[in-house]
Amino acid sequence: MDRTLGAPGALDPLWVSLGASGLALGVIVLGGTPLGWLLARDRLPAGRLIEVGLLGPLLMPPLVIGLLLVFMVGPNTPIGQLLGHLGLSATNTFLAVVIAEVYEAAPYYVLGVQAAVAAVDRDLEVEAELLGDHPFRRWRRVTLPLAAPGLASALAITWARAIGAFGAVIIVAYHPFGLPLQIWTSLQETGLGSALPFALLLVVVALPLPVLAYLWSARARRRD
Amino acid sequence: MLVAEIEVARRTFPVLADLRVDPGQRLAVHGPSGAGKTTVLEAIAGVVPLRRGLVRLGPRVLSRTAPPRLQVPIPERRVGLLRQAAMLFPHLTVAENLGYSRRGPGGRPAGPDPGWLALLVERLGLQGLLEVRPAGLSGGQSQRVALARVLASDHQALLLDEPLTGQDPALRLELRLVLAELIARRPVPALLVTHDLDEAQAFGDRLAVMDRGRVLQLGPPAEVVRRPASRRVAELVGYSALIATDRCRFPGSGAPAPGWVAVHPDKVVMGAVPAAGPSLQGRVVSVHPSGALWSVWSQLESGERIRLRLPLPVAAGEPVTVTLVDPPLFDATGQLVPVPRWSEPDRARR
Repeated sequence: MDRTLGAPGALDPLWVSLGASGLALGVIVLGGTPLGWLLARDRLPAGRLIEVGLLGPLLMPPLVIGLLLVFMVGPNTPIGQLLGHLGLSATNTFLAVVIAEVYEAAPYYVLGVQAAVAAVDRDLEVEAELLGDHPFRRWRRVTLPLAAPGLASALAITWARAIGAFGAVIIVAYHPFGLPLQIWTSLQETGLGSALPFALLLVVVALPLPVLAYLWSARARRRD
Repeated sequence: MLVAEIEVARRTFPVLADLRVDPGQRLAVHGPSGAGKTTVLEAIAGVVPLRRGLVRLGPRVLSRTAPPRLQVPIPERRVGLLRQAAMLFPHLTVAENLGYSRRGPGGRPAGPDPGWLALLVERLGLQGLLEVRPAGLSGGQSQRVALARVLASDHQALLLDEPLTGQDPALRLELRLVLAELIARRPVPALLVTHDLDEAQAFGDRLAVMDRGRVLQLGPPAEVVRRPASRRVAELVGYSALIATDRCRFPGSGAPAPGWVAVHPDKVVMGAVPAAGPSLQGRVVSVHPSGALWSVWSQLESGERIRLRLPLPVAAGEPVTVTLVDPPLFDATGQLVPVPRWSEPDRARR
């Protein structure tokens, strides 16, 4: 293990995975929280359609998701060309890893937020309004605390899903290597012995957040 | 003054009301379940939209359907609504629930006004519960916390929907007094909705009787019960039977025009007392205790059965004559006859 992880550049996949997954998680939380809330409260005109769109990536094999991404953000697509004008590329770049992880993990978060918010009694939100809370304050003081255990679970699953993303990533971003790709290539090229240290590393960095979120969420539920 | 001229669409029937309540005045709204009482409160608070109408609180228009259309958002209406379910925030303690709506400068939560809150806690029996979360409260305690919370907030109108639901009967009686006392300290228009007539009468300066989305009668509580405007109002304020006038023995100059006399179980005396009202003859069918009184089912000579509550027991099978004390009289169409012939004129003659 020392020899494998001690080699020059051996930890690069770790930094790629942590960086890309952290960024993907940030993007997902920023965009997915309001989207999940709007879906839960039926505030979107095409809510059902969006739900179907979110279920797609959940139901499809990740490799198919990767292929779809090539058709959506590949260099010959309008989005790909726009990125090109900005000096960016969604193929075989760090950005491509982030996009693939977002696409693969976002549905877990959005649907998790939707379920967590839907479980908050709407009448409690009305009560907060009757007591003088405007929508943002109502969200902060009532909806968020009550949905927090569910949000924590959604966040944990999303993190695990993003950092472990493989199928879509291998299609759109074979390089730079994150940990899942490093495990795969080590396994292919040099066998189980050299893949295992990376697998262990992935478990070590992927697990703490889900475990903490689970423990906190279980404690919050017990308290209520 | 709170003005509510409202029409609200509902699946079964529209709810219409035209209510005016001055600051410091208390209006009780009484009616059966599903009559639309709660809808009236929710429309005033802005929780349900108006199909047509206007809600005004002092100079502020809160809702208006006529152009220019206006619907002030709930948080800005400053109308306190206590709903039937306590709706306490489960993640906050009782103390935090009570102080939820208090705001300091810039809209920041300022915590409850200590003097007023202490009074509410003491009068509503919430001592010892301040650090408890709602999951640890009984139904009655939750309702009292919710009542204290709405009273603790700085509202310009107070709407209470069955505020004493879930309380023990004895405590409920005491809380009526406490509620009246606490509300008297807040000179804002107050509406209370209840299906308990006693509660409505104890609370209200005026009483509105609602049924199927309409206010059938509005007036001083005693007067509404004494002179219900229609047979339906009579039923809703406790009259248990309607007897055709030709089956009663009327004092003085005899039976009035064909119509109906309403029988209230509590407004009867044994024997014929012509000065009090018409009398009925029948036979006791069954007797059982009802609180400190006796509930007596009596079958009239005409075959109808009526229920009476009498201070003394009578034996089943005995013939009985009772006088209906100052009962309301309805004409053949079911509308109140303004001045029954046996009451005021006879008394004036005496």
